[in-house]
Formats: sequence, structure tokens, C-alpha cells
Amino acid sequence: MAEKEPREDKPASDGGELGETARQMRAAEPYLAAVWKLTGGAVVGVLGGYWLDKWLGTGPWLLVGLSLLGICVGFYGFLREMARLGKRK
Amino acid sequence: MRKAMVLIASLFAAVAWASPEHGEAAAGEHGAAAGEHGAAAAGEHGEDVPGYILHHVTDSREMELEVPLGKPIHLGTLPTLLIPFHDGACTPKMTDHGEVMPGLMEGCLDLSLTKHTVFMFASAALLLITMLVWSNRDKTKLVPRGTGANLIEMLVLFVRDELAIKNIGKEEGPRYVPYLLTAFFFILFMNLLGLVPWMSTATGNIAVTLALALCTFIVTQAASIRAAGIGGYLKHLTGGVAPWLWPIMIPVEILGLFTKPFALTMRLFANMLAGHVVLFFLLGLIFILGHPGVAAVSVPFAFAIYLLELFVAFVQAYVFTMLSALFIGMGVAMGHHAHDDHGHEGHHEGGASHDHGRAHH
Repeated sequence: MAEKEPREDKPASDGGELGETARQMRAAEPYLAAVWKLTGGAVVGVLGGYWLDKWLGTGPWLLVGLSLLGICVGFYGFLREMARLGKRK
Repeated sequence: MRKAMVLIASLFAAVAWASPEHGEAAAGEHGAAAGEHGAAAAGEHGEDVPGYILHHVTDSREMELEVPLGKPIHLGTLPTLLIPFHDGACTPKMTDHGEVMPGLMEGCLDLSLTKHTVFMFASAALLLITMLVWSNRDKTKLVPRGTGANLIEMLVLFVRDELAIKNIGKEEGPRYVPYLLTAFFFILFMNLLGLVPWMSTATGNIAVTLALALCTFIVTQAASIRAAGIGGYLKHLTGGVAPWLWPIMIPVEILGLFTKPFALTMRLFANMLAGHVVLFFLLGLIFILGHPGVAAVSVPFAFAIYLLELFVAFVQAYVFTMLSALFIGMGVAMGHHAHDDHGHEGHHEGGASHDHGRAHH
């Protein structure tokens, strides 16, 4: 987090005309996306497993399996994203 | 202020739902006791207040003028237009809730006109007329004359300078101004038309706000495809994980795209619906409590809420447009760095650290 370089608040590619909210939202966007990776993995795993179980009639097994897989993938994606974002600093 | 109003409204709502039973009980007792100071009659009136409000805010095929304390004047039933995808797909079915039209999944496309559709078209027509009249000024003069032309110019300039350019950027912003202006004025006119007596709010219907949000969604996706290229866009959807994890990650990312339009849909719909419900509950309080003296409090209060709704009509149009611009801007920003890892490198550190970050790759 510690920064040595002087910070330039206005991104050069936007001509420095951006409003405060837009600048903050753009700064937060990669982190919001990373959070959705974490939660979305679980959501997709659980819902997908539930739906497939209903469709194929395979008891709770696909639900359990896909939930675990979804949570793991979500975590993996999230940590990868965090590592990538952290490396930039 | 807003919190206090929500609190008061929920108190009134609680009163409204609590009172029918109370009213019935009172009616029963008083009915046996041959009626005392008209409380039974008040109870009967109080009972249908929630029903009356729900009838007012829900969509229907009937056009009617509501008459206070009386039966609504029926203006006629709107024409139905049903498109069956196979024979007999559009025959109404009997269920526990009465006759129900089969939905799109059963092969019946229902394109019938409804109350909300009519007022949506009405606001579109009104918007067209207003714009044609007030934008048609003397082009030889630099400064527009007249209240209307000045008002429109002020709003247009506000959308361009404060919403589009501030949220999307100087280069890309003007490209999206036509869409943002359309969304802003269309929502504004629908909101304002809903505040005119005997008219209904099209934006208080979730289908309308969903369609509006889908327009923003399409523009946002088009903006990011335009900025990042189709390859960069698809790469963004894979979430930057190994290919064998894509079957999980791609649904996650696609679902994630829909969170923003969902928020837009809900915000506009709930605000417009809630405002009208609050307004009617305040007036319905007179009949729920069954005393004319309540009007001395609830009518000024309802008037204040009406003025607030007038303000909310503008605020919600502004918020929808502002968030649309913000999302479009985020889509545009995604493209600026799509050639990096997978397009997630936003402007999180400003210009200086971009070079720094790029050195690592």
C-alpha cells in the first residue's frame, strides 16, 4: 500500500475531466469485480448444482459437488485477482 | 428527513393492515348495538383502503377515472393483442387465483395495451412535442429566448456537462449524450405524468424500469466491446483463470454483468411505487381512522409528500442517467487497458502507477 511515487489523481487518458464519483468508482471497480468473483462462484455453484440435481434427479450429490467446486473456483479467482492487483502497487 | 418519512409511512401502513380486523370487530359489535356514531361505516371504508391503493398502482387493461368516495368512471377496456406461437397457446387457464393468461414460456406472447403502456406512449408523445416546440428556436441568435427553451437547454447542458463528460470522459462522453438525454427526459416525463391526477406512473411498473435498465445494459456492453474489442471483451468474461475453470467462471462473470442493471431496475421502480403508495396511505388514513378531523393533518402531509415526489421525479431521472453514465464510463475504462492482463486494470492508481504496473508485465 505504501507509495513512494507522487500520485497523479487524474487519469491521463480521460483528459482529467472526470468527476469525483466516477474516479472513485473506476478505482474501486477491479475490487468490486474481485468480490463478485468470490460470491458469484458460490452462487453459481449452488444454483447450478441444485438445478442440475432437479433436472437429472441425482439426489444431493451434484449440489454438494458443484457448490464445493464453485466456492473453490471463486476463492481461487478472487485470490488470483488480489495477488494481481497487489503486485501492481 | 427521508428516514423519518419512511418511519411515518410504515407506521401508517401498520395501522392500515391492523385496522381491517379491528374494523370488522367494531362493525360486528356496533352492528349488534344498532350503530354508534358511524364507526361501523368508517370501518367499512377503512377496509378497502389497501385494496384501493393496490388497484391504483397496479397495471390493468381498464382505463378508468377514479372518483373520490365513489365508483370509478369506466372509460373502456384497452384492446388485447395476443400472439400464440402454436395453436391454442393463448387460451386462459383456470387456476386457484382465477383466470390466468399463459405466459411467454407456454408459447403466448401478450402484447396487449395496458394502462401503463398507454401512459408510457403518452409521455413519449408529450416529450416529442415538447422537444420539437422548444428546441425549434431562432438559430440566428446565440441565446435561446423563452422559459421553455431555456429550461430545456439547461437540462440538456446539465446532462452533457455534469453527467456524460464527468462520468465517461471528455473524448468518449459526447458519443453517449444522445442516449443519456433520451433516458433522462423519458424517465422524467413518465415520472411527472404519474403525478398528474388520473394518470398513472409507467415507471412504477417493474417491466418498464427493467426495459429501461436493459437499454443501459446494452449500451454499456456495446461501449466496452467498442473500447476493448470483441477479443478483449470475451477475455474479460473468462475472469483471468485457467481454461479448465472457465465453465464455472464464465457463468459467474456473465451473472456479474447483470447486477448493475438489476440495481437500476429496482431503484427506479421502488422509488416511484413507494412514493405513490405513501401518498395514498396518507389520504387513506382519513378513512382508516374514520374521522374527518384526521384530514387536517393528513392532507397537508400528503401535499408535502406530493411536493417531495415532484422532487423525487427529477432526482430519480437524474440518478438513473448518472448511474448509466457511470457504468458506460466503467465499460469504456475497461477497454483502455484490455491489452494488459485481462482488462481489469482500471485507473486505480492514476497515471503514474500505470507505467509502474506495466513494467511488471
